[in-house]
Amino acid sequence: MKRVRLDPRTKLYMILVVSSIVMMSATTPLLWAVRLAVTAIPLALLVVEKRYASALRFSVLYAVALLLSFRFLSEESTGVFQSLLTGYCGIVVQFMPAFITAWYVVRTTKIGEFMSAMQRMRVPDGIAISLAVVMRFFPTIKEEYAAISDAMRMRGISLGGGSAVKMVEYRMIPLLFSCVNIGDELSAAAITRGLGGKGKRTSVEILRLQVFDWLLIAAFTAAAGFFVVFKYVL
Amino acid sequence: MKENIIEIERVSFRYKGSAEGLLEDVSLRVKKGELLLLTGASGSGKTTIIRLINGLIPHYYPGELAGSVTVAGRDIRRTELYELAGLVGTVFQNPRSQFFSVDTDGEIVFGPENIGLAPEEILRRKQKVVREMHIEKLLDKSLFALSGGEKQRIACASVSALLPEVILLDEPSSNLDQNAIENLREEIKRWKAQGKTIVISEHRLWYLKDLVDRVLYMDAGVVRREWSGRDFAAMGSDEIRALRLRPLAAPELLAPDCGLACAGKDGCAMTEDLSEPGGGIVLRDFYFSYHRKPYLLRKKRFAENDPMLSLRIARLVLPKQAVVAVIGSNGTGKSTFLKCVCGLVKDCGGSIELDGKIYRGKDRLKLSYLVMQDVNHQLFTDSVEAEVLLSMREKSGARYAAILESLGILAYKDKHPMALSGGQKQRVAIASAIAADARLMLFDEPTSGLDFSHMEKVGALLKSIAAQGNTVLVATHDPELIELCCDYILCIENGKLGYLKKTRPRIGVDGVSA
Amino acid sequence: MNAKQLTAKDFITIGIFTAIWFVVEFAFGMLGYIHPYIVASYVVMLPLAGAIPMMLFYTKVEKFGMITIMSILIAIIMFVTGMGYLGAPLCIAAGLAADLIAKSGGYKSFKKTVLSYGVFCLWICANYFPVIITAESYRRGLVEAGFSAEYAESLFRAINTRTIGVLLIVCFVFGCIGAYLGKAAVKKHFEKAGIV
Repeated sequence: MKRVRLDPRTKLYMILVVSSIVMMSATTPLLWAVRLAVTAIPLALLVVEKRYASALRFSVLYAVALLLSFRFLSEESTGVFQSLLTGYCGIVVQFMPAFITAWYVVRTTKIGEFMSAMQRMRVPDGIAISLAVVMRFFPTIKEEYAAISDAMRMRGISLGGGSAVKMVEYRMIPLLFSCVNIGDELSAAAITRGLGGKGKRTSVEILRLQVFDWLLIAAFTAAAGFFVVFKYVL
Repeated sequence: MKENIIEIERVSFRYKGSAEGLLEDVSLRVKKGELLLLTGASGSGKTTIIRLINGLIPHYYPGELAGSVTVAGRDIRRTELYELAGLVGTVFQNPRSQFFSVDTDGEIVFGPENIGLAPEEILRRKQKVVREMHIEKLLDKSLFALSGGEKQRIACASVSALLPEVILLDEPSSNLDQNAIENLREEIKRWKAQGKTIVISEHRLWYLKDLVDRVLYMDAGVVRREWSGRDFAAMGSDEIRALRLRPLAAPELLAPDCGLACAGKDGCAMTEDLSEPGGGIVLRDFYFSYHRKPYLLRKKRFAENDPMLSLRIARLVLPKQAVVAVIGSNGTGKSTFLKCVCGLVKDCGGSIELDGKIYRGKDRLKLSYLVMQDVNHQLFTDSVEAEVLLSMREKSGARYAAILESLGILAYKDKHPMALSGGQKQRVAIASAIAADARLMLFDEPTSGLDFSHMEKVGALLKSIAAQGNTVLVATHDPELIELCCDYILCIENGKLGYLKKTRPRIGVDGVSA
Repeated sequence: MNAKQLTAKDFITIGIFTAIWFVVEFAFGMLGYIHPYIVASYVVMLPLAGAIPMMLFYTKVEKFGMITIMSILIAIIMFVTGMGYLGAPLCIAAGLAADLIAKSGGYKSFKKTVLSYGVFCLWICANYFPVIITAESYRRGLVEAGFSAEYAESLFRAINTRTIGVLLIVCFVFGCIGAYLGKAAVKKHFEKAGIV
């Protein structure tokens, strides 16, 4: 089966629309429906990309948070536990759609595609390189942090011996040492392969908006328009 | 007579703010198509020479540079690094840090894209490189999911795609197992056949000895000896040892085929060691799977008959006071085994019995200590002293001094652990382990990338730790280390036990298996 | 070649520190949803938490533009993660000002670095902009989104047009304090280890 490959620009547009919709609060059931619809699309795309585990985890988390905030929590909820729960459900309900979209985009966009899209959109090379490194570095931080936290557990210092400052210090210092080292080697390897040259960078990723891209762009534009019209005009 | 492609004339160099890595008046010429090997102890200046040729010195690593370096007629000092990209390619030591992309395809075309080749040309080159290297299987994958050896192959492919005339390799085999080294060797052979000029800095010599045209032996920033490839390959092992180099003979030991003699229900035991009661450490029921991903909640226990297990050890008896090498090819479960044994993998159950006491779950963490391959991850404080005291349950000044003394690092007690050399850092980690009263010491590749002298020191250290009554498990691909210090070999294949056998009197002698 | 021009190495450094910084801020930011007063206390917590990586970053900055680009990246990331675009101008302005201040000290003067980081931290208040600028609809939104009225009330008691001035000042002050602490950590570890 041929994989559906979205143009990175479509993905960026998706982020744009979803984060805009997330910022505007949904006030009527209709608006909620729009919000759910735009959340469902990146979820569906995750499934298409065979990332079942993430898709399932996100859906369940989002569903539970929605259910809790609508069914059990209300304006009158008070108390520590309730406000804690409200808080976390709030964040999930509020930011999950944007988070899912961002996750989908970061996980399924190749660095090469991303650089190519940035170039097409006339983003300066420097910013494109920096952003690409940010994307490349999240998994690295995760790997390094996992190793460090293993080491902490082995020494029994995960809680920093009860001191909050130590807790932060023990995590952050080795992480920074590792990241600086890796960064140094990464730069050396990238530069010896010509990154940052004067000439124009090319790309093998030919960007072309295909039918599916246009469909999604249309859908998201419609969703955004719909949302704005029903929220502010009517 | 072929022309020189690399000319280093009377170069001296010192890194900014450091006394290390000095080069003293080094001159060296490399002919077109030549394969030159640089060897010698760590810190002898091998890597510095590589960096002179690819221009990282002086453009990336600043310092005091005297003399001239010319590559293919270009004065390196006046050439920007990116101009060299199509001319000089470098494969670095650490496979984890040398890729820029997240996916393999993107990494192969990264260089050609940077220098602005036409997309059709880049794709053509990519196809050619992939076909030549037989890495079709690695395409369209995340680099984070690859093993060290696979990452190194992608690094080679990425360099190949730039079609450089000069290829440099800086200790490329450091983190590789034997199979991966064979692949690397094939790659170097192919480059040589294509007429590339190749300069390799390396400790491991066996895989290069019949390929090299010339060998330089470096010591303290000076080229001390020089041989033709043929003379070098014919050198006796005594001479090699006198130079403190790794042996030339190919290791026969680390064949990946373990046989699965101990995979069954009863597992493995060295019976002769168990004649006295409580003579061993008994591991039971270590099962773990990476493939069975719990979706929301973690899965508590893995069943023994689960077909997707990544680690399946029903019972294993390890001798006390011994060094046990854990071997097996990359990705076969050595690291998983170590992490499970010391209790770092939460989902992996299993118990350890020692001196009549049974340790489960978190208690295993107190019994054992893993010295990681990248020891930087386990150093937390700002001095060696604080680092060791952090591990002690009852702080005792006398005891910590004794531990540091026995490891030969007492002189550094006020230094920051990160300011120490790799070997010293390892000792600090070991000191913490001893301070934490660990009885089962686990080492993950402690000698990867070490020269002969350092490897020898680690070997002696492991022996002395075992002599103090501990059991040492060391996952390694380093045959020389095994020869030097290991009493037993434990072979793991696909997460199952292959065999556990005594190494002595001599490695490679069959029929000693349990 | 112009030595003042940013090179690929600088861009990679910026990317790495932005990634680390984002992870740190995100980890601490998650605490905020426990109680609105914690949201308000971002102005104390985030400058302190981010200080160690940032002070390390400052040791690597020698050219104009690095801090500005970092602030642009932060603005982009904030937008992508759904924090909105209202804060982006403040974020980038703070980054630019911080860059100029650090530049006036030649990227070496510690005093200027402290000031610069204090100003840089002002971006944190950008997180509050949606609360203040669109106060009424934001409140409605919160309640309808499932936050309790109590939560919303507390949030508005803590963050409004009158307190924002105070919040900005607190942010700046704790940025400066953070800079001292961060510098101490850099001295204790990175300078002692000889890597900066």
